[in-house]
Amino acid sequence: MNQKGQTATAYLFLTPFLVVLAVFFCFAFLRTIYYSFTDFNLFDPPKLIGLKPYTDVLGDSSFRRALANSLLFAVITTTLQTVLSLLMAVALNRKIRGLSFFRAAWYMPSITSSVVITLIFLWLFQQQGVINYLITQLQSVWPLILTFALILIAVQVIQVLWEKSRKLPVGSFDPALLAASALIALFVTWGLSAAGVVTAHEVVDTVSRPGQITPFLYQYFADKWLSIGGVQIISVPLMVIIFMNTFTTIPTLMLFFLAGLQNIPTALYEATEIDGATPFQQLINVTVPMLRPVSFYVITVGLIGTLQMFDQVAVIGNAAPTDTLITLAYYVYANTFKSGVAPVYMASAAAIILAIITLLLVTVQRRFISPDAV
Amino acid sequence: MKRTALALLSLALLGSAALAQQVTIKINGYGGTDPAIVGDLINKFVKPIVAKDNINVVYEPLQGDYNKALTTLLAAGNAGDLLYLPGETAGGFIATNKLLPLNGLVSTTPFIKSLNSVFTVKGQTYAIAKDFNTLSLVYNKDLFDEAKVAYPSANETWKSLAAKLTAVKKALPSGYYGICLQPSFDRFGAFAYAEGWKQFDSAGKTNLLSKPFVDAFTWYTSLAKDKVGVTPSEISQGWTGGCMQTGKVAVAIEGNWVAGFLKDNAPNLKYGSTLLPKADATGKRGNFLYTVGWAVNAGTKNKAAAIRVLNALTSVDAQNYVLSEGLAIPSRTALQSNAFFNKPGAGPENARVVFQGATDGFVTGFNFGPAGADWSKIVDTALASVLSGQKSVKDALASAQADMNKLQSR
Repeated sequence: MNQKGQTATAYLFLTPFLVVLAVFFCFAFLRTIYYSFTDFNLFDPPKLIGLKPYTDVLGDSSFRRALANSLLFAVITTTLQTVLSLLMAVALNRKIRGLSFFRAAWYMPSITSSVVITLIFLWLFQQQGVINYLITQLQSVWPLILTFALILIAVQVIQVLWEKSRKLPVGSFDPALLAASALIALFVTWGLSAAGVVTAHEVVDTVSRPGQITPFLYQYFADKWLSIGGVQIISVPLMVIIFMNTFTTIPTLMLFFLAGLQNIPTALYEATEIDGATPFQQLINVTVPMLRPVSFYVITVGLIGTLQMFDQVAVIGNAAPTDTLITLAYYVYANTFKSGVAPVYMASAAAIILAIITLLLVTVQRRFISPDAV
Repeated sequence: MKRTALALLSLALLGSAALAQQVTIKINGYGGTDPAIVGDLINKFVKPIVAKDNINVVYEPLQGDYNKALTTLLAAGNAGDLLYLPGETAGGFIATNKLLPLNGLVSTTPFIKSLNSVFTVKGQTYAIAKDFNTLSLVYNKDLFDEAKVAYPSANETWKSLAAKLTAVKKALPSGYYGICLQPSFDRFGAFAYAEGWKQFDSAGKTNLLSKPFVDAFTWYTSLAKDKVGVTPSEISQGWTGGCMQTGKVAVAIEGNWVAGFLKDNAPNLKYGSTLLPKADATGKRGNFLYTVGWAVNAGTKNKAAAIRVLNALTSVDAQNYVLSEGLAIPSRTALQSNAFFNKPGAGPENARVVFQGATDGFVTGFNFGPAGADWSKIVDTALASVLSGQKSVKDALASAQADMNKLQSR
């Protein structure tokens, strides 16, 4: 039971936090609700105009695209990052050599600023970036790779058949035979290349002729879409952002799963081993159910974070067409900060819709993954 | 002793009274190299004039996105007494009613008429152009010499220029290009104007499917065929001035700002400047008038002092200095015959061409209209998709027009 005065002390300690919350969250949130029913434009005094901001926003095709992009981004990224971080945690929970190195290495993307990572990705994915360069190189040495692969398969088949004809127990992918096949394939390919029979393609920057290729200059941050039946579903730039976001958030989420894994009693695994369960069955029937409270937290944090994704879009900015990347958070920002007068009432309405969607999604997932059920 | 103390006290009181009368005028402008340039301008030409009126001048640059930062400051009532007003976003800022109309306060007559019109809405002028720029054709003399192709001249048409650029590309080794093409309206637009295209019709709508626009778009993007033209990003550059700096591109379309950039970053590059080519169909050139004006914050407590500073900043001496430094072309009509234009050298030559560009052919103030930067992004996207070979001219313009209709019906 609390002694008299303890509650007051608790509130005293909480005061700084409560003041900050009241000023920067509650006040701001209430003002946003108020602005979402007015014609506020940053400069003129706001006048109440009822639900018009909401109808304007819902009628704006840019908002609808932002909504679709945000939802797609949230669902795909949250799914990817949750599944991959769980697998990563399971892998790093095993006693393997150099475990601390791998844990530290995998955590690196998480401690790097997302703006820095975005800039690195912009560099990787630009028209003359590393990704296009690697694809160009791959295209130019393609004949050599193909030759190597064909010879490797042929030699391996011959070796396996030879061994089998001698009634020796040998698998198709026998590592010793594979190593020998690879070595032979390497030498033969090198020989064919030196003799000029098989050569790499020449890279030229004008129209290519037979035996030449032009550099692969795919523009990732361009108006490229994955369409189904003429409907633009998801853009290529957004897919790049999903890849990038998953890459940067996996480490943090993996840490939560690792902490959760430490709390699962080893007796459970031992029991399933006695019952003859495979590692996959252990993962599905022991690890996943036991990690439910952590999974709930990870998915909640993931959904909220991805629905409010802003920084990557802002940094990429003009490098990609607006529709390909626009998210709800960016829509709110773009409609607030223009040159001079701005439709802040529309931004406010969009912000409120974003808040409602976030609440809805978290509530829905709470029904499916209750944190208490184990 | 007492007398001395009394004298000292009265002196101190007098001093503080003088200090109390001193007014500080805060100026908001761009970051980057502007603080150094404007700082020099203030120290050399403004402070000596306004100091006797007890006016102090401070330059406060807004780093990052100037338009967004200025919007926030104006809305919060914290903007400077004087501000840069970019021509392309002037409409949005004038609509805030936070800028002081200058009619009756500042004489606009000494300044170039077309520049005043950029900042005039419903008969009220809200800013005085501090200087201006247009586009010119900048060419690398060494590459033309090596390719044994004649330098581009003022008589060039689109067709003849394209032929010269193709000849240069063919004669030079791989990795060298004829022209650097910015995939953006701020360069391409000049060519659309040359065809007689109008950015907005009487109802304020934009037609990207009209023949003049399509023809200009087709010509501009056709240069990317066979890599005669290259976009800056393809050679890891951010703008066409950067392309020139590499020494691997024969021609770029830039304003007078490129002269200072090349002086610092490619001092050994031999370049020349000429007017933009004429459209074959109309026989005319097009051009942009880029300008930034000095505007007064309507909420300033020191209106008279702000106007004094504005007058000093746009004085004959101040504008002469800007011109002689190769920074921009003065906005005063009287300075257009300045001796600097006739000096030998690549810099003055470029300034001369940029100045001529303001009156030759279809010249329009660089402006995005009420939709702001969203307007230009639609054209930029279409240009990028065609220049990079992802879309045909027809497809790119059809989807751009659909986006434009959406934007302009909001």
